[in-house]
Amino acid sequence: MTQHRRTRVLRHGILAVAAAGALTLAGCSSSESPDESSDANQDFSFTFATSNNLESPYQTLADLYMEENPDVTITTNPTPNDKYGETIRTQLQAGNASDVIQTTPGSGDARGLIGLADAGFLEPLGDTAKSLVPEGSESLFEIDGKVYGQPLDFTIGSVVASFGNAGRMGITDFAWPESMDDLYAACDAAAATSGSLFALAGAAPPNTGLMAQAISATRVYAEDPDWNQQRLDGDTTFADSDGWKDTLQTIIDLNDGGCFQAGSEGGGFDAITNGLSGGTSIGGFIPSGAAIEIAKAAPPEAAFAVEPFPAADGGEPYIMASSNYTLSINAASKAKDAAAAFLEWMSEDAQQQKYYELSGELPVSAYKDMDLTGTIYEPVVDLLASSSYTSLPSNVWPNPSVYDALSVGVQGILTGQKSIDQVLADMDTAWDQ
Amino acid sequence: MTRTVESETELVVLPKKYGRRPAAQPRRPGLMKFGHWWWALPGIILVIAIHYVATAVGGFFAFTDWSGIGDFSWIGLDNFVRIFQDPSKLLALGNTLLLAFASVILSNIVGLGLALGLNRTLKSRYILRVLFFMPVVLSPLAVSYIWKFVFDFNGPINLVLKSVGLEEMVKPWVADPALAIWTVLVVIVWQNTGFAMVIYMAGLAAVPVEIEEAAAIDGANLWHRFSHVILPSIRPAVAIATTLGIVNGLRVFDQIMALTAGGPAGATETLATQVYKQSFALGNFGYGAALALLLTLIILSFAIVQQRVTSGPREEN
Repeated sequence: MTQHRRTRVLRHGILAVAAAGALTLAGCSSSESPDESSDANQDFSFTFATSNNLESPYQTLADLYMEENPDVTITTNPTPNDKYGETIRTQLQAGNASDVIQTTPGSGDARGLIGLADAGFLEPLGDTAKSLVPEGSESLFEIDGKVYGQPLDFTIGSVVASFGNAGRMGITDFAWPESMDDLYAACDAAAATSGSLFALAGAAPPNTGLMAQAISATRVYAEDPDWNQQRLDGDTTFADSDGWKDTLQTIIDLNDGGCFQAGSEGGGFDAITNGLSGGTSIGGFIPSGAAIEIAKAAPPEAAFAVEPFPAADGGEPYIMASSNYTLSINAASKAKDAAAAFLEWMSEDAQQQKYYELSGELPVSAYKDMDLTGTIYEPVVDLLASSSYTSLPSNVWPNPSVYDALSVGVQGILTGQKSIDQVLADMDTAWDQ
Repeated sequence: MTRTVESETELVVLPKKYGRRPAAQPRRPGLMKFGHWWWALPGIILVIAIHYVATAVGGFFAFTDWSGIGDFSWIGLDNFVRIFQDPSKLLALGNTLLLAFASVILSNIVGLGLALGLNRTLKSRYILRVLFFMPVVLSPLAVSYIWKFVFDFNGPINLVLKSVGLEEMVKPWVADPALAIWTVLVVIVWQNTGFAMVIYMAGLAAVPVEIEEAAAIDGANLWHRFSHVILPSIRPAVAIATTLGIVNGLRVFDQIMALTAGGPAGATETLATQVYKQSFALGNFGYGAALALLLTLIILSFAIVQQRVTSGPREEN
């Protein structure tokens, strides 16, 4: 190769690199800023989480919206629940997220709207969304007075029990225990039938975490509803909290008392589904809406109900209840008006009622006025009426690592790998990171 | 035709012959002269952008507190200090090394044994080779979910134990802190053994029968023939099988996520599972990047050391 030819080849190479670089940069950048986007676009995309292959309530409602508005096309993106948080974070960061995104209140989850709004990825919402925010939960939905997520549901985080299963197991005249002594007696009665009072997914951290939170309602938050704020202010720690120690000790006592199914520390979510639908367990620590899904697999006589976990001696009954699902609008959306119109439509009573029928979750806009007699929520109506509930703590905690430390720690307690003090110290470390 | 195939196999598995090389043939005019190095430029750019630039950017974030979204700050070596001060991360490091070395040792011993057994003479060797190689082509995730069912508390192992009166041995295998890591190892070895077997069979195919026969005539017993004739001849195959095995073992991920998800209570966490959890599930991208950088350095170090150890002395003509 001559010197002249080498130079020419090199020049071509440099030009090719420059051209490729320019094309790459052009592909990565947007030719117009979000402010220049056209809001006249009626079509938009909608990403939501799914946990199974049943049709999501969001899909049904999106289809209904398109039926009512033939000029609108919604491109739905159902995304597996276990990868949902990381998926929407990656899409938002990359600039290709959907126009409407299902989020969760607070910052304790990868899909938590506070973290996403703080990073500038979410659009502030209007007065309708603001009016739906449950009283006292504003910090989970707002930054500087602006709301970034429209709540949909009002979920009870307690025990879902099947009275029909008690009958199927041969336990007659079963009544939900109101004291810990009654609860341990019920555990013995269930274990005597080779079944269990609770089905636990001990190897699925979300379930161990939800159980700990449901129990902490009576041990921690009934006495100190603002405990999380005290922790945030540095006035207390998990390690110093008698309530949290009592919560974890209760889990040890439940395990020692044979309240969980055999091999519960290795159980997955299938252990709960099989236990409750198959009639080998009476209850489980699952969100209230999940009872609707399990009921589909269970026989009609299963008779599910949402029950409060018994308070400690001298304590008051208390439950976890809050909105766990919100809808947000992507700040980079080019169809913000269409997306906002959809959210407005979702807040209407008819759609809220439809959402309740489809998902089993109480509608956030109307649960206070609903007659819940004869529904699965009947046992907790009085607690809701007397405001004996608090938001799910994990939504309030400052980062997902705190809930992870609790969930993993409970599994460690069940297997004997961790002590109560170790778990609480891990939670404090995660909080302060 | 047959001779050509053997020659290509030899090129892959036999040690290179050093010393005087035949003079290079002058390039053929025409087709070969037609090519230009810059034709590969798009490919080179893509490889650099996707592999090396992405890795370098990831390495950069190891020194930041980035959560995966929004702003970040440069925090120097803080992430690495946190890693080495956190007992759970040191346990993950220990598990990573345990799984890598134990799986490579067991897979290679069993794989070599199978290759020797199925090398010649056995009539059913072809069908047996297929059966032993089958797990390699299956998805690690699918295989792990099947094994999870096998190890389940209500699974076949415990049912068999119950049926033979060994109720006291019934346990949740993947949730037992003392046994969980070994259940993961069983699955990895079960799936990787076929791969090692195939590499060793390729190596054994290049060992001339005449040398083995000569050694036998000279009075060498089975063990001596293996250790002094066969093993030195398949040294390159050993190098390939162990290097690939150790690299795969260090970055094992699917099997753990499907079987135990790192549990119980972190007992089966490895650096790879921690990279995923910290970066994506918990929103600690900077910390996860630091773990990934550490894992990369470990893989690189062991791959280099292992190559040096198994390459052997240079052969003289």
